[in-house]
Amino acid sequence: MDTISRRRFIQLTGAGALAAVAPSLTIEDIANAAITRPLPLGTPILVVVTLYGGNDGLSTVVPFQNSIYQSLRPQIALSESEVLPLDNELALNGSMTGIKSLWDRNQVAIIRGVGYPNPDRSHFSSMAIWQSASRQAVRTGWLGRWVDTQNEDPLLAISLGSVLPPLLAGNKRSGSVLPLGGLKIPTGNLASDCKKLSLTSASDSPLQALAARTLGNLFQISDDITPILKAPAPPASDLPTSIGGNAGSETNLTQQLEIVAKLIAAGAPTRVWSVSLGGFDTHADEKRAQSALLGAVSNSLSRFLSQIRSTNRKSDVVVLAYSEFGRRVRGNASQGTDHGTSGPVFVLGEKVKGGFYGENPSLSALVNDDLKVTTDFRDIYATLLEKVLGTAPERVLGTWQGRTPFIVV
Amino acid sequence: MVRVTYHSHPASANAKPRAKYSRPQISVIPFSNQRYPALTSALVAGSNLHRGGAKEFTRYFPVLHLLRLLNLYIDEVASTEERRALSRLVHRFGFGPRPGEFSQLLTLGLPAAIEFTLSRPQLDIPESIFSLHGIGDLGDQPAANNISRFVEYTNNKKFQLGKISSLWLSWMVEGENQLLERMTWFWHGHWATSYQKVDEPYVMFKQLLTMRKYALGNFSDFAASMIMDGALVYWLDGQRNTIKAPNENLSREMMELFTLGVNRYVEADVKESARVLTGYQVNKSSGIVTFVPTLHFSQPIKLLGSTQSFDAPSLARFLVAREDCAQFITERIWYRFISSNAPLPASGFLQKSFTSRDLSVLIKSLLSDNSVIYNPSYSQVKSPVEWMVSSLRALSISLTSDLDVDFLFNRLDAMGQRPFFPPNVGGWPADEAWLSTSSAQNRLSTAQYLASRGDLSPISSVSRASRIDALADWLGIVGFSDRTKNALSGAVNDLPRLVTLALCSPEYVVNA
Repeated sequence: MDTISRRRFIQLTGAGALAAVAPSLTIEDIANAAITRPLPLGTPILVVVTLYGGNDGLSTVVPFQNSIYQSLRPQIALSESEVLPLDNELALNGSMTGIKSLWDRNQVAIIRGVGYPNPDRSHFSSMAIWQSASRQAVRTGWLGRWVDTQNEDPLLAISLGSVLPPLLAGNKRSGSVLPLGGLKIPTGNLASDCKKLSLTSASDSPLQALAARTLGNLFQISDDITPILKAPAPPASDLPTSIGGNAGSETNLTQQLEIVAKLIAAGAPTRVWSVSLGGFDTHADEKRAQSALLGAVSNSLSRFLSQIRSTNRKSDVVVLAYSEFGRRVRGNASQGTDHGTSGPVFVLGEKVKGGFYGENPSLSALVNDDLKVTTDFRDIYATLLEKVLGTAPERVLGTWQGRTPFIVV
Repeated sequence: MVRVTYHSHPASANAKPRAKYSRPQISVIPFSNQRYPALTSALVAGSNLHRGGAKEFTRYFPVLHLLRLLNLYIDEVASTEERRALSRLVHRFGFGPRPGEFSQLLTLGLPAAIEFTLSRPQLDIPESIFSLHGIGDLGDQPAANNISRFVEYTNNKKFQLGKISSLWLSWMVEGENQLLERMTWFWHGHWATSYQKVDEPYVMFKQLLTMRKYALGNFSDFAASMIMDGALVYWLDGQRNTIKAPNENLSREMMELFTLGVNRYVEADVKESARVLTGYQVNKSSGIVTFVPTLHFSQPIKLLGSTQSFDAPSLARFLVAREDCAQFITERIWYRFISSNAPLPASGFLQKSFTSRDLSVLIKSLLSDNSVIYNPSYSQVKSPVEWMVSSLRALSISLTSDLDVDFLFNRLDAMGQRPFFPPNVGGWPADEAWLSTSSAQNRLSTAQYLASRGDLSPISSVSRASRIDALADWLGIVGFSDRTKNALSGAVNDLPRLVTLALCSPEYVVNA
């Protein structure tokens, strides 16, 4: 995988900082809670996978038989031998064998042509729109606002990595952050002094109060987290271990999902997990990079879902994978593609009703050379809020009628 | 020579603005240059970047110095407001005070301190920096089967990357013109180009020198240079943009992120300006951009309502001349130096000050507005680099000393902010994003490392009872809260721990 794939869109500076909220979390609970108040079995869990950079939908769900597709991007277009057909028209990128086998088990919903009206082609604006689910400049994310609707629990929504994505920023509270590898905590006098340092002070500015609180959280982690993180991940026993299915390269996404799998298996009372992979901004030399990235996504997700299947929460987990926009239909001169509009969204899991949703944007009816938007992404969010998080979508999205019936409970 | 130390500085945040405090105890203690190694060490051999700071400082204001000697200069302690304004000046328009510097600025008062900050000479980096440090064109990557050449090439690249990283960090830590170094750092986050893709230390270093050259200069000249900068053009695929099949990456970011801001143009403008950014070819290893007229679209285009023909520099100047550019650049400066939360003041005074596109005028106007620098609501989180560099300065740690520079860059990496490696073309996030539990842990372990290697004598030379107050002046903090004083009080006998705690205190991590 080359350097492009590591250009990580961790954060949206253009969207401004997070809402000035204090995540009053006690991460001690992350360990203790998994043991002392595990998530009741059968409680649905949402895992959100953000693909930063603008994933090229046409190289993901490929209209491999379409002559317009072949002629508009001759150097990038995939031939029949490079794809995994799903029906007579559409196929997955050939690197996505893991997701293809889940599709065959009827556990993958592919929603086509997803976007929003008047698409914005800026990475930062468009990702802000997707993460906030708003066209207005708001400082909260849709799942942060969901956190606001719930009882206060610092473990409710967790993002893997060192900075909090706007996705999980709420008005009152936010999700918490869990860095890869866990946290090392000082001990002795330094620890007790730090605890004093983390107390609230009337003279703190809001940011200073937040600084104190995050320092405090560090010391509230009990030693219990360490064994959980050190324990082996649940086995992916139903995947082949030879070359192929289970032999995905170790990517950062694999590591993130491995920790999520462990913590779900341990019973962490977490309803929402956020993981991410960057590098999808394929302006140049797209074909190889895109296949490598999609292969990483496919391998790590199929491994993750296999691990989940070996636990007693196999039907609880639903995965959402999205990117801020699709890419231009016509290839550019650099064997890549520029920023476009709509793209496919994937929803995966045992309780998902597999198949295609949403009208496939026609290649012969482009709007300003770009794909039409046929499904608003908020339809998907509304469905997930209702069917997975058990929350009335209006509380997060305002009035929103649209739904996509990929989960029927 | 003397150094003045406040032995007390009551600093309650609840104090009324401009409140006067009771006269402090002031003692005059001998000043020794040994205490301030960072002030006198010349880190970048061959450059004249670092002249003796403290000496020059006092030479610069002989009258004040005399007044100070006579102990006549102060009959009241600086108010919380004054301390806050000066703390902002040293931490946001520089990388924090060296030992003793904050006290000196307090005696000067804000107007003179601003004048001092703005009037430092801009010492250019000499051309010899490249040969002196072995930074140069590595040529094409040899084939991997030529193992000895390949290994040599890879080692050279690694060496050069380490070199440019530590050189830059040393300028931040020791640069005499702190405003210039701070602005250079700001521009790196603005024209955010990552080594991750450019992959050539020499080319990244040349970009850094360009940013440093124009950091406080004319933004039109700056943008015209940057649009021809090898690292930036390569980063945004400009060399792959052709008339037949445009690559819009550079064109879009030039407008969205570098000059105008999002939605201050339409999609057609992105497409049109991509057409005239054709014909620029980049040599990857040298970063040299060559203009090939036959590959350039020279016809007039319709851009932002006017029709004319452009080359890359004239396109940059055209964009910079637009009113939206003054709006956008002042927004970015405001966001990074004042507040990422509060909006730019509606009065428009900053935009007006940028009419000439002279960045030093814009900064001066920002600093001179009392409604900004005194406004208590604009607190700001230090980013990892800002926090680390200010800690290195306070601790008089020179990067030439026995210090594990790799360790420092690993820590910065872990905290999510390694110079030359911005996460994307939008640069790094701000404020709350740096206050995760994970950053707290990384700050703590880094502070422990620094406190074990730094010069703690400015604190150890002070009586135990006065150490906490001395810490606030040493670090350029407005004042410690009772909460923090309580936490520090248990550690006054254990200096490394005391300093670790102070560096991790909310009052230091967040500039009030």
